[in-house]
Amino acid sequence: MSTAELLPGTLDVLILKAVSLGKLHGYAVLLRIEQISGGALLVQQGALYQALARLEHRGLLDSEWGTSENNRKAKYYRLTAAGRRTLGVEAASWKRLSDAIGLALSAKPEEA
Amino acid sequence: MVAELMAMVRSLWRGVVRTRQVDADLKEEFRLHIELRSADLVRAGMTPAEAARKARAEFGNTEHHVEKARNARGLWWFDEMRFSWLDLKLGGRMLVKYPVLTIVGGFSMAFAIWIGAGTFEGIRQLVFPTIPLPDADRIVMLQNWDASANRPEPRATHDFVAWRRSVQTVQDLSAFRTVTRNLLITDGLAEPVFTAEMSAAAFRVLRVPPLLGRTLVESDEQANAPLVAVIGYDLWQTRFKGDSSVVGRTVRLTGVPSTIVGVMPARFAFPRTQEFWVPLRIDGSGAEPRQGVAIQIFGRLAPGASLEEARKELTYLGRRAAVDFPHTHQHLRPQLFTFAESVRALNGPDDSMMLLTGNIYVMLLLVLVCANVGLLMFARATTRETEIAVRSALGASRRRIVMQMFAEALVLGGVAAVVGLTAAGWGVRWALDLMREVLTEGNGHFPFWVDGELSPLTFVYTALLTLLAAAIAGILPGLKITRNLGNRLKSTTPGAGGTQFGGMWTALIVVQLAVTMGFPVVTFFVRKDTTSLETHPLPFPVDQYLSVRLDMERVPTEAGADTSAAAFQGRYAAAVQKLESRLESELGVTGVVFGQHLPRQYHPNNQVEVDEGAVTPQDERGHLVGSSEVDPKYLDVLGVSMLSGRWFNSSEANPDARVAVVNKAFVDRVMGGRNPIGRRLRYVRNSDPEKEPWLEIIGIAPDVGIRSGWGPAGIYRPLVRASMYPLNAAIHVQGDPKVFAPRLRAIATDVDVTLQLTDLMPLKDVENGEASFHAFWVKMTTFVSAMILLFSLVSIYAVMSFAVSRRTREIGVRVALGGTPWRIVTAVFAHPLRQLGMGLLAGTLLVWVLQGGTDNGWPTATEVLTLGAYTTLMTVVFLIACVVPTRRALAVQPTEALRDY
Repeated sequence: MSTAELLPGTLDVLILKAVSLGKLHGYAVLLRIEQISGGALLVQQGALYQALARLEHRGLLDSEWGTSENNRKAKYYRLTAAGRRTLGVEAASWKRLSDAIGLALSAKPEEA
Repeated sequence: MVAELMAMVRSLWRGVVRTRQVDADLKEEFRLHIELRSADLVRAGMTPAEAARKARAEFGNTEHHVEKARNARGLWWFDEMRFSWLDLKLGGRMLVKYPVLTIVGGFSMAFAIWIGAGTFEGIRQLVFPTIPLPDADRIVMLQNWDASANRPEPRATHDFVAWRRSVQTVQDLSAFRTVTRNLLITDGLAEPVFTAEMSAAAFRVLRVPPLLGRTLVESDEQANAPLVAVIGYDLWQTRFKGDSSVVGRTVRLTGVPSTIVGVMPARFAFPRTQEFWVPLRIDGSGAEPRQGVAIQIFGRLAPGASLEEARKELTYLGRRAAVDFPHTHQHLRPQLFTFAESVRALNGPDDSMMLLTGNIYVMLLLVLVCANVGLLMFARATTRETEIAVRSALGASRRRIVMQMFAEALVLGGVAAVVGLTAAGWGVRWALDLMREVLTEGNGHFPFWVDGELSPLTFVYTALLTLLAAAIAGILPGLKITRNLGNRLKSTTPGAGGTQFGGMWTALIVVQLAVTMGFPVVTFFVRKDTTSLETHPLPFPVDQYLSVRLDMERVPTEAGADTSAAAFQGRYAAAVQKLESRLESELGVTGVVFGQHLPRQYHPNNQVEVDEGAVTPQDERGHLVGSSEVDPKYLDVLGVSMLSGRWFNSSEANPDARVAVVNKAFVDRVMGGRNPIGRRLRYVRNSDPEKEPWLEIIGIAPDVGIRSGWGPAGIYRPLVRASMYPLNAAIHVQGDPKVFAPRLRAIATDVDVTLQLTDLMPLKDVENGEASFHAFWVKMTTFVSAMILLFSLVSIYAVMSFAVSRRTREIGVRVALGGTPWRIVTAVFAHPLRQLGMGLLAGTLLVWVLQGGTDNGWPTATEVLTLGAYTTLMTVVFLIACVVPTRRALAVQPTEALRDY
């Protein structure tokens, strides 16, 4: 399966989704996105931290220091209540949008 | 929503305050990320070294990601605005690298801060005095305001007694009245001392313990109690030589024995400059409303009581008094304000306007000076275009570059602020010393709340001034130099032209040159005025005379004596007569004469008109001349003769005499040199001038020291001693007049213990206070003129140098093409020379206005010539600043200038 570039504005919602499944450190967020997208989405590694900082700044993510699987100091992110609300809203919005686009793209000549 | 907002504020706060920690945390995350990615790649079959390299490459530049993450937190704005220790260090280095700019710019800013901080401190002491007493903001003054007469009613003994009984919100209600008394110690010399008759409770209000002995107590106020006094520290030091056993000593206060019971510490001089306190004895039982002596009432707000509550209570008591005593209290409105408010030197709206105007002038000066520094920094920045271009190309934003220039100006401003503040502290003390004569109210002491120290508020103000100065000197040129930087960099290199002085700088240069031309003129007029004060020769041996003002205590010492004004005047005239007789018979005294004003003293101006023969007045207010009423023997005692006509005779020393003598300066200025004898003159008052009697001019006296705001012209009229108070005396003695001063005091005490000798000094020293004040202004204006001239020369130099550095390549081309030096100079300096020309024109106009304004008319032909000569001189001075840049322009070699082309 080939990978695709992310659409602008989608990284934030993907991160929120990834973190909603359990608290994760930065690299794990990257892996989780690749995993849940079936390896179809490629995230720029540096851009990930910019987005994490943005989401934390907006109060959608909270963070705490812990220990990673290789026994190193790691910063774990988890969803806040505001983040969960935003995820719900954004996910619904994406669903409507993708349904609409899917519908539009599957239209046949006789339906025009 | 609130949680999100809080998270945002927390994030910003962390990012701003703990920048390094936030960045370190991010890098820690990056390290973990790269390690885990490497491990995954190793598991996928790569060698550890290859895996690590690939993981780092995939991740990218960590510094770049840190910056992006900071931006994502909204910190870019803070990062752009913030300057670090490094910026300040760089700023410091730039100052060292460009020492001339540092010295001139720093000196300019220090000068502006000095003027600004000094003015602010002066105003603060006048408008917001800090009272050096414990809990001074709770000390309140109470008074009755007569609404019908629109003035305070000081005869408040009746109200004082009533308020003392009933007021709850103010405790220890006290009163005082200030008087000047003759203090006689054992040496036989009576000297006036500023005394406060004060309630004993006042010392509880003021909460200052005595240094020695005790303060006044209530029993001292009893009519039959022995008379006691508390003395001030300075008086203790000067009159009692700091004698530690002074408590218990008896002195005579206007002839009445009093026992000293205490000494107050230094700087205690309540209510203003007093240094002697005696009990205020008020017979409360017999006090009639609006009768008795004038007193001032004060107290301390009771614990828990506010000013507002106290005002309400007093208003209520005022209404009740208006009902109880309608004839006297119907229009009286009790008022209450803090002691600090009561001693403010400036209160009214006019004063506020004056302060505002003064501050605007100071701020304008500051802006002008700092803009001048900005001009220098801009000129220097043009030589750093390459450096700025490189920084811009490396990603430094415009704001970042501007902030760097601000940091440089701030370092310069910081150094200047330290210098300026030090000078301001010194300057305030210097100004206070010079103004001692004006401010000390007669006994050489300032009001006790005046000091020469800078307040913390002034330091805060200076910090703000420094920021403002740095903003003007750093941000403005920074914005100018970075405008369209990208476009300019595409086509230019230093020396090839590009940045130009815009309209704002041109306006600044023109204003600065105009002000530079105006200031020496102001200095000239101030100096001319002072010179006329200092060097006007007097036609008699002024160093052989002693000068003194004769005051007298209003209340007679004898019980039951007549206290009316007429009785006082009679006692005074008798005492003066007796003193005159005693002095005339005194060995070593060759003459004594009395007058309203003496030679060298200030003579108030009067507007006069002459029936015919006078020149047209230069001022719309008519002929303003000094005047004085003097004894018929005035000229005899001074030893000078009339120039023409005759002087008064004894029979003319009466109110009905219609004669006047004018002096030589009067003849010159008012009569245009024509003979005034036989002409008539009269005063022009605000009321009907026709009511003023005509006075016949009977003679011309030489100029013997009339000093007024309008020069030495003046008139003399015969003195009527019976109606003049106070009188000044000039005593002609053999030998040093100072030596005779103690003897004079002894004689005066012997003549009448209530006679007070004030301003006793040799006649030659009379105007010294005012002369030194003028000298202060001369020095100030000269210094300011010199500073502004220096700034202007530096500006011209900077503008010219800027033109040369900007057009080096063009000069090279012109030289290569065979351009003559003249053509090169005129081409390169066309713009700066136009600015110089405009400045000279504006300056000439300003000087024209100043000159015309001073002489109240259009300048004469001579003045036009003078103006032309002055403008030429200033042009030459300004052109001196062009010499070095011109030489540099002419020294440009085409091979050097075009090397990088």
